[in-house]
Amino acid sequence: MTIAGAREGAMYGIRRAVAAAMARDLTAFVLPGPSVARSMGIDLANAHLRVVGTPRHADVLIVVGPIPDGLRDAAAVTYAQMPRPRAILALGAGDIAPLPDADVSAPLTRAGLADLRRVIAAGAFRADSGEFNAPALEVRVEYTCPMHPEIVRDAPGDCPKCGMTLVPRETASDGHGGHGGHDMPREDRPNPADHAHAGHAHDAGGSGAYTCPMHPEVISYAPGKCPKCGMNLAKAEEVESHGHGHGHGHASHAPSAHGDHAGHDDKAGGSGAYSCPMHPEVISDAPGKCPKCGMNLVKAEEVESHGPGHGHGHGGHGGHGKQQDHSGHDGHAGHGGHSKATIDGIEPHFMSMVEMTKDQPRSSDGLQMDWIKVPFGPFFPGLPAGLRLTLTLDGDTVAASDATSLVGATDLMDGPQMRVADFVERLATMMPLSSVSYRALACAAIEVAAGVEPDHDARRGRAAAVERERIASHLNWLAEFGLQSGFLWLAARAGALQLAVQGADVAGIATQAGAIRRLSRRVQAAPLMRMRLRRIARIGNDAPASGPVDRARGGGSDARTGDPTLKDLGFEMRVRNGGDALARLRLRCDEIAQSLDLIAAAGMIAVPQVPDVDRVSGEGEARIETPRGTASLRVKLANGKVVEADLDTPTDVNIALVETVTAQQELGDALSAVASLDLSPWEVRG
Amino acid sequence: MTVQMIFLAFFGGAAVWFGVVVFRTHSMVRSALALLFSQTAIGAMFLVMQAEFLGVLQIMMMATEMSVMAIFMVMFMMDPGGMGKMDMTHQKRLSLWAGGIGLLAALLLVWLPDWGPVALSVPGAHEQAADLGRELLGRSMFIFQSAGLTILTAMVAATMVAIVPNAEQSK
Amino acid sequence: MSILVVLLSLAAGAYALAVIERWAVHGHLSLTGPAWAALALMGRESLLARKSDRLFFELGPVLLLVAGLMAVAVIPLAPGLIITDLATGALFLNAALAYVLVALIMAGWGPNGAYAMIAGWRFLGQFIAYAMLIVMPITAVAMRAESLSTVEIVASQAQLWNVLYQPMGFVLFVVAAMGLAWLPPLDLPDATGELAGGVEAEYTGVRLAVLRLARMVIILALAGATVTFYLGGWLGPWLPAWAWSAIKILAVAAAMLSVGRYMPRIREARYLALSWKLGISLALANIFVVGVIALVVPI
Repeated sequence: MTIAGAREGAMYGIRRAVAAAMARDLTAFVLPGPSVARSMGIDLANAHLRVVGTPRHADVLIVVGPIPDGLRDAAAVTYAQMPRPRAILALGAGDIAPLPDADVSAPLTRAGLADLRRVIAAGAFRADSGEFNAPALEVRVEYTCPMHPEIVRDAPGDCPKCGMTLVPRETASDGHGGHGGHDMPREDRPNPADHAHAGHAHDAGGSGAYTCPMHPEVISYAPGKCPKCGMNLAKAEEVESHGHGHGHGHASHAPSAHGDHAGHDDKAGGSGAYSCPMHPEVISDAPGKCPKCGMNLVKAEEVESHGPGHGHGHGGHGGHGKQQDHSGHDGHAGHGGHSKATIDGIEPHFMSMVEMTKDQPRSSDGLQMDWIKVPFGPFFPGLPAGLRLTLTLDGDTVAASDATSLVGATDLMDGPQMRVADFVERLATMMPLSSVSYRALACAAIEVAAGVEPDHDARRGRAAAVERERIASHLNWLAEFGLQSGFLWLAARAGALQLAVQGADVAGIATQAGAIRRLSRRVQAAPLMRMRLRRIARIGNDAPASGPVDRARGGGSDARTGDPTLKDLGFEMRVRNGGDALARLRLRCDEIAQSLDLIAAAGMIAVPQVPDVDRVSGEGEARIETPRGTASLRVKLANGKVVEADLDTPTDVNIALVETVTAQQELGDALSAVASLDLSPWEVRG
Repeated sequence: MTVQMIFLAFFGGAAVWFGVVVFRTHSMVRSALALLFSQTAIGAMFLVMQAEFLGVLQIMMMATEMSVMAIFMVMFMMDPGGMGKMDMTHQKRLSLWAGGIGLLAALLLVWLPDWGPVALSVPGAHEQAADLGRELLGRSMFIFQSAGLTILTAMVAATMVAIVPNAEQSK
Repeated sequence: MSILVVLLSLAAGAYALAVIERWAVHGHLSLTGPAWAALALMGRESLLARKSDRLFFELGPVLLLVAGLMAVAVIPLAPGLIITDLATGALFLNAALAYVLVALIMAGWGPNGAYAMIAGWRFLGQFIAYAMLIVMPITAVAMRAESLSTVEIVASQAQLWNVLYQPMGFVLFVVAAMGLAWLPPLDLPDATGELAGGVEAEYTGVRLAVLRLARMVIILALAGATVTFYLGGWLGPWLPAWAWSAIKILAVAAAMLSVGRYMPRIREARYLALSWKLGISLALANIFVVGVIALVVPI
């Protein structure tokens, strides 16, 4: 008996001891994430596993619940990143393709874990361990031009624009969900392909340019003062055109159009020396290719006395047109070539990075750096599971962000019509992080459509059930926040309390109430907490937002305000000022306290029961305040069956805020900001 | 004496070899760290020559300085990993001249001045540290204080220069 | 002989620390846990990232370990029980620990992963924050002892421990030391929730074991430095000298390991601002106060 992810090698001697050691000291990576596991009532903390934040350090992959289709590829990548021997423990997961079959499918009890340990101890090594393959893991090599990142080809060859030899670059194969999770992006290291040089125009040349004696990069077409030192600009006596096409553009921040590169040979007069735009020292009498980079040599406009070693090819890259429009190849700088004044003492080819990068977008710190695209999620510790956040980083500042849900947008209906009970069940399982709220929402909408009125007790019990879920959900958020910010005590304590509250009755919640209130006081008073969250993810009053995010900016709405049942229980909307992550944390703590009071006042908790509707037809809409904000559902019943449904969720509103709250933030702050929104990717409908 | 000479030669050779690596590698980080290890080897040479304080100081300061330099080299170079096959060299002629003149100057400095008689015994490490302190706070105090002030001025000036473009942008 | 004794006690200390760390991070106390974990790491695949800078990837953890061991070399555990009593011991400790930065940059750059690379450079930023606050409090300590030798620094505290003589320096040094050992809440280079392991993220198997061992050695070296500089080293009544050293070092290390559990990670820019605006002013004040006391009241 061996595990599917056994490491190659015969099982003898020291390997037996090693396998036994692995079985005793299991490290686990949880799919889709610890927060989902807790919402499903799975207690990982108690299982004597060490839950780790990266698959690289895990030897057991715990799959919780069925894998949503959008996460299957990412799951395969995650599994592939685990070092062998690696095992899979499936908890109610069903079909987990493309992962290999689970080694153990048992609940996370003492017996289930003992099984897992036995399997690992016995089968960690195998003589002929096979490779794990999945479509998502195939790497495709594509070819791109270092100067023209927009050129991407499947086969090696030359760039149609400049003739340079295309360089290979690895990408994931088509159509998979991205190297999500902890796929340490193998291709994200600066390499020439990523650093495609987007061509830059140093079009300072042309006769009659003025330049600063101290700052040769300062070029002006009119006399004046140097913006850097205030010296009077001097007329450049000798203006030479020389071509160095060393742009430092980057694929991801080269917004301006690349100039028209066509036909740049025809204009070049002069004696017909050819040189490489990248390597001016390469000079040839005949057209051809540069021996260094393979680029087409371009004709130099005029040959100067410098001789070999200083060619003056025209780059022909009207890259970021700086002062003039290059598309017309106006006479100034030839054809968008790279010309610069020669100043005594400065070598003509000197590449000034200041010059090259001055027109590119800059981050708030004013430093120009390479931009790298880094994927976070969908299994990133501290971010909502199922959310793929792609951050374009400029150093460690976020220059651009993109948040997509890999698990949302599931159809509400699985057919043209659904039985009412099936519909309620489907909606509840669709939202694993707040299933009670959505169950209540579905029931309420159907009741409105059918014209059924639940009795007083049912309404109270249902409201209390939603409040209980609010406590659990906010505690879950606190636990995730603790994990993300390294506040491990909070992560452990809030997680334990969530598990204790989630299925508890009124008496059970009353016994936990003291501990929960202490936790929320202690969180707010923790050292460094204010410093960590204040002024992070500030949201103004004009941006649409929902739920606690909305109410933490000194106003906002709450679907519970108009509800007579909750009014009877003493509900009043809680509001915090500030609109930042700290205000959100405090508001969630306030809401936990209020929900505890509401449950105590209700005195009963009843999970919403599917209303008994008899062959009625009608339409109805209901709104409910889920832990994340206001959700509304419209249903249409025909003959007692649901035929149409339309859902609006709070995350749909709040996910649009990701871009605002991450823009120009330091990486850690940006991740805190996204976490502070408490997104549930399952709720994304768009 | 001979053991000391062997170690001195070894670290000297290491310093030169790492110095060559600085220019032989395409990776900016490797280049910066090779320079660091070259300097560390020089620090080790100080240690071999029983100049303990100077050696330790050299080893300490270079680690941090070269790391800071490395990040600037990475920030400002395209292809800092040196994975591309592209040739990034330029100004070869100037570099050759500058290097040649520098080498010549160094050799002249080694051979021409009168370095005085070879010291056969070295004061103990404790005594050296104390002597160095007295020197720094006595005869050489003015030089070191003015050097310190100059560096501080340069730091402030560098910060100013770095801030200016940002201010311009916000206008 | 003393080298062997120091190395053996180092191994024992590292193991004890690993037990404490597991208890602080994962919440279960297990005396055999680290041994199983180490054995398990030996058996796991040691993956190599594609397109990695192999040299740096391999050298990073080793250099980290060497830096930690060098730092340990100047920490006295009892009179005569020290690997080398350098005249410049306090400075040498700094020199050795400066290579932690180099090692982390190598380990971050080597594996060709974005998280690791950001983490490595992040540590450079963190270094800018803590570096002055390691050196300046040590200056005040050396001023009192009138020597850089660690043995003499301990001897100088016979009348009064430095933690009472210069409490401000003690606090600054401990905070800076936690930054140097990237312990929470200053664990910016391996922040789990931000960089999914950071510099450690790409290391598996034996290499990861070396990296973790090196980290433990560095924490021990810093705890040892704290004890030597501020808590009177081996000094103490009743118990033998080595026992006092062991108790104090383990207690300091345990405190440094567990305090981060109760607060969120600090933001990098905030740490930098605090260190420079507040920390350096306080460190200068500390040097001044110690100078005045040393001249006026000879203790």
